[in-house]
Amino acid sequence: MQSGYEWDFGVVLQYREVFLRAIGTTLALAVTIIICGMALGLVLYLLRANTWRPVYLLITAIVEVLRAVPPLVLLVWIYYCMPILTGLSLNGFQTGVLALSLYSAAFYSEIFRAGFQSIEKGQIEAAFSVGMTRTQILRRITGPLAFQRIFPPLVSQCVLVIKNTSLAGYIAVAEILYQGQQISIRTFRPLEVLTIVALIFLAIILPLTFLANVLEAKYRKKYFG
Amino acid sequence: MAASMHGTQTAANALLSIRKLRKSFGAIEVLKGIDLDIGRNQVVGFIGASGSGKSTLLRCINFLEEPTAGEIRLEGELIGFSDRGGKHTKLSSGEISRQRRQMAMVFQQFNLWPHKTALENVMEGPLIVQKAPKAEVEERAVGLLKKVGLEDRLHSYPSRLSGGQQQRVAIARALALQPKVMLFDEPTSALDPELVGDVLRVISQLAEEGMSMVIVTHEMHFAHQICDTVVFLDQGVIADIGPAEHIFGGTTNKRTLEFLSRYLERNG
Repeated sequence: MQSGYEWDFGVVLQYREVFLRAIGTTLALAVTIIICGMALGLVLYLLRANTWRPVYLLITAIVEVLRAVPPLVLLVWIYYCMPILTGLSLNGFQTGVLALSLYSAAFYSEIFRAGFQSIEKGQIEAAFSVGMTRTQILRRITGPLAFQRIFPPLVSQCVLVIKNTSLAGYIAVAEILYQGQQISIRTFRPLEVLTIVALIFLAIILPLTFLANVLEAKYRKKYFG
Repeated sequence: MAASMHGTQTAANALLSIRKLRKSFGAIEVLKGIDLDIGRNQVVGFIGASGSGKSTLLRCINFLEEPTAGEIRLEGELIGFSDRGGKHTKLSSGEISRQRRQMAMVFQQFNLWPHKTALENVMEGPLIVQKAPKAEVEERAVGLLKKVGLEDRLHSYPSRLSGGQQQRVAIARALALQPKVMLFDEPTSALDPELVGDVLRVISQLAEEGMSMVIVTHEMHFAHQICDTVVFLDQGVIADIGPAEHIFGGTTNKRTLEFLSRYLERNG
C-alpha cells in the first residue's frame, strides 16, 4: 500500500552535530546513573541483609516505593518539589542522575539479592570451614559467584537505564530524545527524526548486549562446560 | 562418663573435649547433653539414625553451629567463646575463623567452589587465610591432589569432575590447612555406589597415617574397619560408645542392636 509519504533524511542530517552532542549527554547520564545506581543498589542490598528488623523494614519500604513510583514522577518531584521543601535545587542533569539512580538502585538491589540468595549455603560453609572471614568470603567466593549469576539481569537493567535517560528530556536535559523532538519541531520531520533516535539507541545498546552475551558464553564454557 | 570408660586418653590431654553440649533449633532440642573426649591420632565414628544429632554435633565442633549450652575445647582452648573471668562471651568472627582452620571439614555435598579449578580450590585456604607464599602453597596442593589420585585433574573445574573426584578434591582442600583434626560429614552419602570406594580408600590411608578424624557415616562396614572408637547417637544423647568391636560385636545395648539390625535389613 502506498502511503504517499516521502522520506527525507537529508533535512534532519543537517542537525548531526546536535545529535552528536546529545549522544554525549545521554552517555554521560547513562554511565553516571549506572555507576551510582549499582553502588547504591549494593548498599541497599547489604543494609537489607541486615538482621536488625527496623533497618530491614525501612530499606524494604524504600525499595518498594522506588520500584513502584513512575520514574518520571521522581524526576518531577526532585526537580520541582525538592527546592520548595528543602531549598536545595539541582540542575537538570543532576536531577536526572539523582532520580534515575534512585529508581534503578531499587532494581539493582533486588538483582543483587537474587544473586546472593542463589548461592548454595554449603559453599559459604566450606569457606567458613577453611577459616575465611566474612570479607574474604564476599571478595573471593560469594561476590564472584553472585556476579556470574546476575550478569544477564544486570545487563538488562543497564539497558533499561540507558533507555530511561530519555526521561530526563522532560526537564529539558539535552539528551537524544529531547534534541530529537526539538529538531522535529523545526523540520516537521518527526518520523525521520524518531527513526534516527531509534537507530542511535540501537547503535549504543546492541554492541553492549552483544559483548555481554560473548562474556557470558565464555564464562559458562569455562566453568560449566 | 562413657568416654572416660572407653577412651584411650583422659580428658587432660584429649585433642577435643566436649562437655554437657546442648543444641536447640527453636523449640527442638537436637543435642541433649553430650560428653565426649577424642584423643590424638584417633579415628572416631558417629553413627545413628537421621535426626539423631550426629551431624549437628560435628558442626558444633567447628562452630558452624553455635552450641546452646556446654563447651567444646580443642587442645584445651574453648571453641567459639572466650572464658575470661569465668563468663562465656562469643569470640569475634576473626578469632572464630582462626580456630576453625585447625579443624578441616569435608561435607556430604563436597561444596567445592564452582568458579575455581581443583588446584585453586585446594590452594584457596592456605593462600588467602594462612597467607603462605604461592609457590609453596601450589607445590603442596599438587602433592595433596596427587595423594588423592587426581594429579591429572589439577586444572579441571568441579563441574567436569565426578562426585567421587570432587569429594577427593574436598579432602585435599581440607588437608591443605594442615589441620589438627579432620571432620567428615557423611562423606560418601551423596556418591554413586561405584564411587564410594575411592573416597573411603583415601580416608583409610589418612587413618593409617595417624590423622585425627571424626567421621559421621552411614557406612557401617567402613566404620567397623577404620574407627578406633564408635559413638552411637540416639535422640540427641550418646546411647552407646566403645571400640568398633564393642559396637559391632560385643554390645548388649538394645538401641544399638535395634539400629544395626535395621541397617542390615536395608543394606543386606
